[in-house]
Amino acid sequence: MASANSAEAPADLPAGPQYLPSSVRGAVKILVTGPFGVGKTTLVGSLSEITPLRTEEDMTAASTGVDDLTGLGGKTTTTVALDFGRITLNSRLALYLFGTPGQQRFQPLWEDLSRGALGAIVMVDPRRLNDSFDVLGRLEEQGIPFAVAVNTFPGTPSYPEEQLRSALDVLPDVPLLFCDARDRRQSYDLLIDFVDHLHRSSLLELGG
Amino acid sequence: MIGPVRPYVVTGGRSRPTRAELAVESLVNAVPRPPELPRHVLLNREHRRILGLCRSLLSVAEVAAHLGLPLGVAKVLVGDLWDLGAVQVLPPVPQAERLPTTLLEEVLVGLRQLR
Repeated sequence: MASANSAEAPADLPAGPQYLPSSVRGAVKILVTGPFGVGKTTLVGSLSEITPLRTEEDMTAASTGVDDLTGLGGKTTTTVALDFGRITLNSRLALYLFGTPGQQRFQPLWEDLSRGALGAIVMVDPRRLNDSFDVLGRLEEQGIPFAVAVNTFPGTPSYPEEQLRSALDVLPDVPLLFCDARDRRQSYDLLIDFVDHLHRSSLLELGG
Repeated sequence: MIGPVRPYVVTGGRSRPTRAELAVESLVNAVPRPPELPRHVLLNREHRRILGLCRSLLSVAEVAAHLGLPLGVAKVLVGDLWDLGAVQVLPPVPQAERLPTTLLEEVLVGLRQLR
């Protein structure tokens, strides 16, 4: 049934809809974000129960910080692919995982996706940490809880956790996790660790 | 709001769903016997494709992906059908109290069982 090579298959011809059980009453979402090529789609694919789906979003990127009354200044239209997957958690609840670039220029898409999200997993490539600063800053600004996930595919040099933390300049309570995004078990452990962190934080907030 | 956005032809120029609460993870289901449409209402091809697709439960995002529509367009069209009573929409799980502990616990238990 499942089509081979699904990661590369064009998303306009999916295998056909895989419906949720009719008992499901609602859905929550978690974002998987980070720069291009860091492994977001791979992670979503390792976790999803359905062949990951894709939409193509037209982005009209306005030049930042410029008053836009003329509607002319420095606009470019680009298309960004959005990959997402799904996990049916129990008979009532589903979880969607949206892989989305977090850069400033994808603002409209970001707002749509981040509204109501439980949190975000920020994937980083230790060889190009700079690429992740933008999205980390934005999550902190918006108060969206997040974890940093280092994608540890072979060939990735290993850095001491303290060194990564200080380079990324994230607060001590932000989890720094490691995962080979191609591996289902590791990907699940990553997601579980993150949700466990969210759960414990919410208990603390309750003043427990 | 970010300046002029490319007009969405299939939505008749509208780029906002009529109901603000429609989210990409909102779940949609066609109503088995929808109310008769008012005479002036014309469903376009995309509306009819959505009704055909949503024989059972799918998210707005899945509707967009299966029909090759951008998310914003799918939201508007699903919103139209919702207004007409042709689809049922389950609200995203309420987040009124930020990050309800019980909800996170339910997610956690579900993930651990699937692992």
